[in-house]
Amino acid sequence: MTLDPGTLLQILFWGLYAGCIYILLATGVNLIFGVMKTVNFAHGELLMIGAYVTWSLFVLTGVNPYLLLVATVPVLLALGVAVERLAFRPVLGSNKLNEIFLSIGLIYLFQNGAALLWGDDYQSLRSPFEAISVPIADFRLPLDYLIIIGVTVAVLVGLQLLLRRTRLGLALRATSQNRKAAMLSGIDVERMDMLAFGLGAALAGAAGTLWAVSGQVFDPYMGSVPAIKAFAIVILGGLGSIPGAILGGLFYGLAESTATYTLGGAWKDAISFVLLIIVLVIRPTGLFGERGE
Amino acid sequence: MHMRPAGILIIAAVLLAALLTAGCQTQSESPAALKIGVVASMTGPASTTGKDVWQSAQLAADEINAKGGVFVKSLGKNVTVQLVQGDDESTREGGQKAVTKMITDDRVDILVGGFSSAVVTAHQSIVADHKVPYIITGASSSTVTHRTDVDTSTMFHHAPITDASASQTTIFIDEVMRPAINTKFGLAADRPLRLAVVYQDSPFGKGALAAIESTIAAKGLKIQVVANETYKMGETDFRTILTSVKAKKPDAIYPIAFLNEEVPMLTQARRDVGLDTIFLAVECVDDPDYYKGLGQYGDYSIIESRFSAYATPRGPISQNVEKYRGDYEARFGASPGMMGAATYEGVYVAVAAAEKAGTLDRAALVTAIGSIEVPEMVESMEGGVISFANQFRESQFNLFMEQLHWDADKQLLRPKIIWPDELKEAAFEIPAWYRPGSG
Repeated sequence: MTLDPGTLLQILFWGLYAGCIYILLATGVNLIFGVMKTVNFAHGELLMIGAYVTWSLFVLTGVNPYLLLVATVPVLLALGVAVERLAFRPVLGSNKLNEIFLSIGLIYLFQNGAALLWGDDYQSLRSPFEAISVPIADFRLPLDYLIIIGVTVAVLVGLQLLLRRTRLGLALRATSQNRKAAMLSGIDVERMDMLAFGLGAALAGAAGTLWAVSGQVFDPYMGSVPAIKAFAIVILGGLGSIPGAILGGLFYGLAESTATYTLGGAWKDAISFVLLIIVLVIRPTGLFGERGE
Repeated sequence: MHMRPAGILIIAAVLLAALLTAGCQTQSESPAALKIGVVASMTGPASTTGKDVWQSAQLAADEINAKGGVFVKSLGKNVTVQLVQGDDESTREGGQKAVTKMITDDRVDILVGGFSSAVVTAHQSIVADHKVPYIITGASSSTVTHRTDVDTSTMFHHAPITDASASQTTIFIDEVMRPAINTKFGLAADRPLRLAVVYQDSPFGKGALAAIESTIAAKGLKIQVVANETYKMGETDFRTILTSVKAKKPDAIYPIAFLNEEVPMLTQARRDVGLDTIFLAVECVDDPDYYKGLGQYGDYSIIESRFSAYATPRGPISQNVEKYRGDYEARFGASPGMMGAATYEGVYVAVAAAEKAGTLDRAALVTAIGSIEVPEMVESMEGGVISFANQFRESQFNLFMEQLHWDADKQLLRPKIIWPDELKEAAFEIPAWYRPGSG
């Protein structure tokens, strides 16, 4: 198989783009797990709702969908806070099975709710920049992908600043590291749970906006596959590790793209899980995970 | 625990009322109607098609009832057509549940509908066990009709099977596209057309690919399959696959894909990957949502069809098509799709079978459908009739090819029939931006 530099660059870019969506989703899962020690299986549905919120706002206002991130992210943050407060908090710490079945129940609730609100039909969104492309080597990369990569980097830098440079971030990290010690030092850990869930949902909402604006279709049932991949990335990168989620997301995106090109589209999902198994056999805690998680 | 006399009286009254109501229901169950169970995906990913299927059945039933219903000789009277909705939820399990309920609880006389091959194959054994006549108007895989593990003798297929439709498109590519491309670009007349097939990793996709390859081999067509790339059902990101296809330099790309896959595939091909080539599409995606979803990216693409919301084949059915489309739009405020068209005809076939059988007995209905000849209605049929007289009880369609054109003023994508000659409205066109592949 011959591979010219232009084609190789294109494949890497598609992998990078997919990686951006995975990173945002997996970082959210990890943030929630890190603080609450619970897994939200309905996380993919938050991506779906993010896509629909952006689409609805776009239909209503006609505003540039990238700018609508400013509205979509707070909506999802509020939704995340509400879900944590009303659904997860009552069962948190009771029994892991309760938490698992609660989040599985939320999958159906969100899917059916979205179908009721927006209908079952698939939807799509057109970017205002779809006709603009940038010459890179010997191919033209649509501007949208550069924006998507830029937005992802900006969101991650913002998150990192929040976690590293603010008192709130310090409290979140303290809760993540030792919940009891954080509580004893006066941190309102329930407030931290709410915040972590809200931030996780907001990241999924941002992923949903970028998904929609990149020319992919979405419907109420589209969240499951991205969610499964996000969980795999979290395990690959290490439970609770945000750098692990970022590296894992990039790794997954690039692995999928390369496998699709070399082995065929049927291997796209399989190759990621093959890599996951290999990494876990060699390092059971994942790339950045710590023992005991 | 003691119960007050008033409480006992209330319970007794409720029980008595329930018994009386049950009695009423039994009395009303005398066959005053031909009960048709409509298998439709009212919820789930295929709900767009499901709603089309259900609404078309409603339109047919109302038309028939407005004309006095259906005469059943054994009852000595006309009975109305009563539709029972069976939502398969776009899943195998949902289909099994819906069909079981319609057969055992609702006691339908006949079933019509069924969209996805995967969903239909999952509930065929239930239909076989109860020997219910079933006019399948959607599932296109030949496994539905050719399978031998289930007794399909009560089932009739009123939709083109994948093999037939893929074969027709392949013939069109050889007869029309290949000579046009070779002529326009000054290539040798016998130069084979370089075709890339991107197919869903399912019986539907694999069956179509096999049909394309066998048609090329059997008819000695000058088509070279330069790429056959597969993808998982429901995929929405085709960029890498298309990059791979682009590297093979095809003259045309033939995706074997569902509507929700073909729309992002074609959009990403034109917008992101820069594939300046002509795309084809299988007949099951000819739906108003396809045109809406593609927009300008569908310009000059080709689609196989048997019923289009926006094109009318010339010939004897053109008036029927216009009337059906007008009635559907007036009632539901939307354009009809092709699965609905077949279901509309399916309801009429069921009614014709009941009249021919003279009874609502299921076995007699099966025999009647097997030998029936209903004049073609809104889809062009071989011999001008809907008939299930062949080995696999499949009706035979006259398929046609449409080319889509983007109207920049109206911001609409619309088709024109370009093949075969007896149905066509316009000639095949090669766009100015098109570049042939090279080997």
